[in-house]
Amino acid sequence: MAKITIGIADMKASADSADILTTYCLGSCIGLSLYDPVAKVGGILHYMLPSDSINPLKGESKPFMFGSTGIPRLFKTCYQLGAEKKRLIIKVAGAGQVMNESGMFNIGKRNYAFLRKILWKNNVMIDAESIGGSNNRTMYLRLSDGQVMVKVSREEMVVL
Amino acid sequence: MKHMDEILASIHQIPPFPQVAIKAMDIISNTQYVVSDLVEVIRLDQSITANILKLCNSAYFGLPRKVSSLKEAVVYLGTIQLRQVLLASGAKDIYDRPDKGYSYFIGELWQHAIACALMSQVLARHLRLSLDENSIFTAALLHDVGKVVLSTYVSQEFAEIETMVKKEHLSFHDAERRVLGFDHAEIGGRLAELWKFPDSIVAAIRFHHEPEKSPKTFRLLSELIALSDGLVLMVGYGTSADGLSYHIPHLLVDKLKLKKNDIEVLMIKFQEEMDKAQEMIDVKDVL
Repeated sequence: MAKITIGIADMKASADSADILTTYCLGSCIGLSLYDPVAKVGGILHYMLPSDSINPLKGESKPFMFGSTGIPRLFKTCYQLGAEKKRLIIKVAGAGQVMNESGMFNIGKRNYAFLRKILWKNNVMIDAESIGGSNNRTMYLRLSDGQVMVKVSREEMVVL
Repeated sequence: MKHMDEILASIHQIPPFPQVAIKAMDIISNTQYVVSDLVEVIRLDQSITANILKLCNSAYFGLPRKVSSLKEAVVYLGTIQLRQVLLASGAKDIYDRPDKGYSYFIGELWQHAIACALMSQVLARHLRLSLDENSIFTAALLHDVGKVVLSTYVSQEFAEIETMVKKEHLSFHDAERRVLGFDHAEIGGRLAELWKFPDSIVAAIRFHHEPEKSPKTFRLLSELIALSDGLVLMVGYGTSADGLSYHIPHLLVDKLKLKKNDIEVLMIKFQEEMDKAQEMIDVKDVL
């Protein structure tokens, strides 16, 4: 079994059913997990900001920093490993919010809104999610059966 | 409920800031220092020596080649970088004490401290704040030392604080104040005072949750640390004890009339620095 860690602004996918993918430190960021139960292929993207329109050069050099450049790459990478769109199970964690009322710091909300929009445009539904609140999260994806576990702040791990 | 005095008495059981790091920083504050003097002092502390070698080979310091001896490290690193390495090495010892209470995972406070140090540097440069780089780095790195004390000596109350955060939707330091009558920033300030850090650092630590109360002379530094702390916590480089239960002090944001886009640009720059500093976060005591 290999434990594969996905950092902040990072993405990894695998077709090895012995692997467990993990991403820590999901604050306002989004952890997006894809899994194809037939091909046993899956991947996680951990992006920080919604769109690379703010810095397109960065979008090229660090595509996983943004939803706009990271999300399509996650899907493509899973397809290359044998996944098929119609079989994909999509799970989401993150988009935490600090307690400020002002919109200045609502990056979590904007990250999530962006994700909904891009998935909706591509006819993809979210199967399960653990989002929002003043929480940070850790997300795990087990490739043998596609089980996604989420640890919310200091609470017990839950199956998503 | 334990009283502040009782906690303060226990502060003396917290190991002092590594003396070797302090002595070495003293030596380099003299611009005419002799390299061999410095090497002699640092060598006394094996853990700091090992940390220095590992830290200065990290991408963050961008040295042209791998450094293998302490003397080389001292020669290659500039004075500012050397000071940062010494300070980081000392701070890491404090944050990652193995006998710490159960409330934080090993490495968690350290990662948050490094993230805050890098964020405050990015903010200061990008926003052209006229602040001394050393003070920024020191204050940012040490802003949460009070948590080390609290998690060690009031572990029972700590559980109560966490429950209060969750149930009453309070920020972490507000809950600390309700349960204990004071917060980790206050304790941290006292600790920094005890370690004889300059007043500006003490104030920045003491007021990192309420920079508006900082003495005027030190207010900008306090505001910077407060904002950096909040932003890195928001991204996810916080500690699991607090989650995101936090109001980011936004004095600096208002003062500089920052927009949402500015915050995003700053976060991109910050993450670039974090990528370079990965080795610093992973530094393990090799001895």
